[in-house]
Amino acid sequence: MTFHQARWKIYMPKVKPSPLPPDTMIGGYRIERKLSAGGFGVVYLAVDNEGQQFAIKEYLPSSLATRAAGELFPQVLPEKLSLYRLGLKSFFEEGRSLAQISHGSVVSVLNFFRENETVYMVMNYLEGGTLQDFIITARDLKNPKVFRESTIRSLFDEILRGLRIVHQHKMLHLDIKPANIFITEDNRAVMIDFGAAREVLSKEGNFIRPMYTPGFAAPEMYRRDSSMGPWTDIYAIGACIYASMQGYPPNDAPQRLEKDRLSLALSRQRGVYSDNLIEVVQWCMSLDALSRPQSVFALQKELSRESTRLYTKLTVGERVRLQFDGAMSDTKKTAPKPISPTSRFK
Amino acid sequence: MKFSVFQLSRIGGRTMNEDRMGYCYTRASGLFVLADGMGGHPEGEVAAQLALDTISGLYQRQAQPVISNPSEFLASAALAAHHRIIRHAAQKGMLDAPRTTLVAAVVQDAQATWVHCGDSRLYVVRNGQLLLRTQDHSLVEQARQTSRAPEAADRNILFTCLGSSAKPTLETAGPLALRQGDKLMLCSDGLWGNLTEAEIVHQLGARNVSVAVPALVESALLAGGEQGDNVTVLAMEWETPDVSTSIRFGPVDGAVDGGFASTLEAAVLDTQMDDLDDAMIERSIAEINAAIRRSAANKA
Repeated sequence: MTFHQARWKIYMPKVKPSPLPPDTMIGGYRIERKLSAGGFGVVYLAVDNEGQQFAIKEYLPSSLATRAAGELFPQVLPEKLSLYRLGLKSFFEEGRSLAQISHGSVVSVLNFFRENETVYMVMNYLEGGTLQDFIITARDLKNPKVFRESTIRSLFDEILRGLRIVHQHKMLHLDIKPANIFITEDNRAVMIDFGAAREVLSKEGNFIRPMYTPGFAAPEMYRRDSSMGPWTDIYAIGACIYASMQGYPPNDAPQRLEKDRLSLALSRQRGVYSDNLIEVVQWCMSLDALSRPQSVFALQKELSRESTRLYTKLTVGERVRLQFDGAMSDTKKTAPKPISPTSRFK
Repeated sequence: MKFSVFQLSRIGGRTMNEDRMGYCYTRASGLFVLADGMGGHPEGEVAAQLALDTISGLYQRQAQPVISNPSEFLASAALAAHHRIIRHAAQKGMLDAPRTTLVAAVVQDAQATWVHCGDSRLYVVRNGQLLLRTQDHSLVEQARQTSRAPEAADRNILFTCLGSSAKPTLETAGPLALRQGDKLMLCSDGLWGNLTEAEIVHQLGARNVSVAVPALVESALLAGGEQGDNVTVLAMEWETPDVSTSIRFGPVDGAVDGGFASTLEAAVLDTQMDDLDDAMIERSIAEINAAIRRSAANKA
């Protein structure tokens, strides 16, 4: 089974700047290897002189700067200079945001320094994988459930604890998605990549359109004028829970505004996941921002409610509609085929 | 109409960038504006911004797709900007109005027309030689013309600007027929005050605007030193003398169909970003590290 690759993909320019080679010394740390590279720059695994490992993020936006193999200093194209600086400012913003927060569910930044005519952010090195990796692995096992309900509840309870602290600092994450949720080998959930995070009250936010990932971005993120708030991150949380249930991301907000298939897609999960969990997802992902939980606390309360879980079977009519939808849907080839609901019910 | 354009603004050694610049264009006409908000009066950057907003707003309304009389347009738009600054001061109950210099050019029908007020300049370079430049409305320039010995302090004293209580002197000139390769440069005194005319003409004449502008700004910043003024340059190169529909932009790609393309909003952004100079970067890093230590202390 192939996966909707395009939906997970992020923009990647053709020529990427070269990462620094292993054994390069930066700010007293020795690079061991490149961990990942994205549009913003490169993350390295590095060790300090006591042998402790760190993840170091280098500011090197691939669309604005180049670096030849073997070089240390990036070259910024003159006409891209102002954008490069703008990006640098948001890199600082990320550092500033993370520096204020000390919580197990939020990646911690330990040091920040300037070298090679760019800047570096030192973070604790996490071993494990992203929620996206786990979803893909679990989905490929073709079990009726991608994750168990109790796993989803405890995972998101942990994430919400961290997110609550983030919001308490008057910040929004604005790019919550499975690829930005890290699950460590000692089973902690940690939010990473606060690149899009901005202070809610910051005026600069007006200039930059925050990056968004289709499927996880609330409708208000597509509009420039509307106000974003905790409910914007809550939409993304709902979409992450959805992905943890379905194995693939929900339709993006513009698609949903045109024809909303969310309820239909969620009805496939009836009997597999409790009515309450399905309702929580639907609540979080309301297209109208005011209809969503307005605070993380409100959502936490609902998610942690440990009452008897109710599972409602689909009616015959609903089953027919589902199959009809499956036949018409363009995701038919790639989405996991709906297994007969009765056989999924346990 | 075909031209390339490049603009750059840097804060220099000052705490604020009071320079503003921007350009906008239709398929047959282009507007280039630069304003240098004046120190010694409040909110210089506001005056500069109001001047840009007013002039570009009027341009976008009147260029259909060309301005019917560029010289008249520039004079009336500059005066409208002056009135808007005064209104702003009145609305805010300010004792002293903010002030700004201005230089603006309209290029259309293979001709350039411009207006200036104060000491922001327009240079035209042809075949590597200075064809003309505007004369500053400053005491030092006046002294030069009347061969009175100028005093060192005179350079910064302007006898006119937008926002002052007296009606501003708005000097319009042109139209100048453009030839292929002609370069028009608008700049603040942060550039010409730190470099000799020969240097400016040489740099601008020798290379493409996208290379010449950053090089000029860099040299001026270097010459200006630690306390140096804001340096702002907006330059365009005329590429084809004939009127055609193709437009090629150096830093900005994409043609426009019947609409307007503008960097005026981006220009504000440029100047804001340039606040992020070396000192600012160091300060940001120090702040972040202080926050890290605080968080660690709280945790312990």
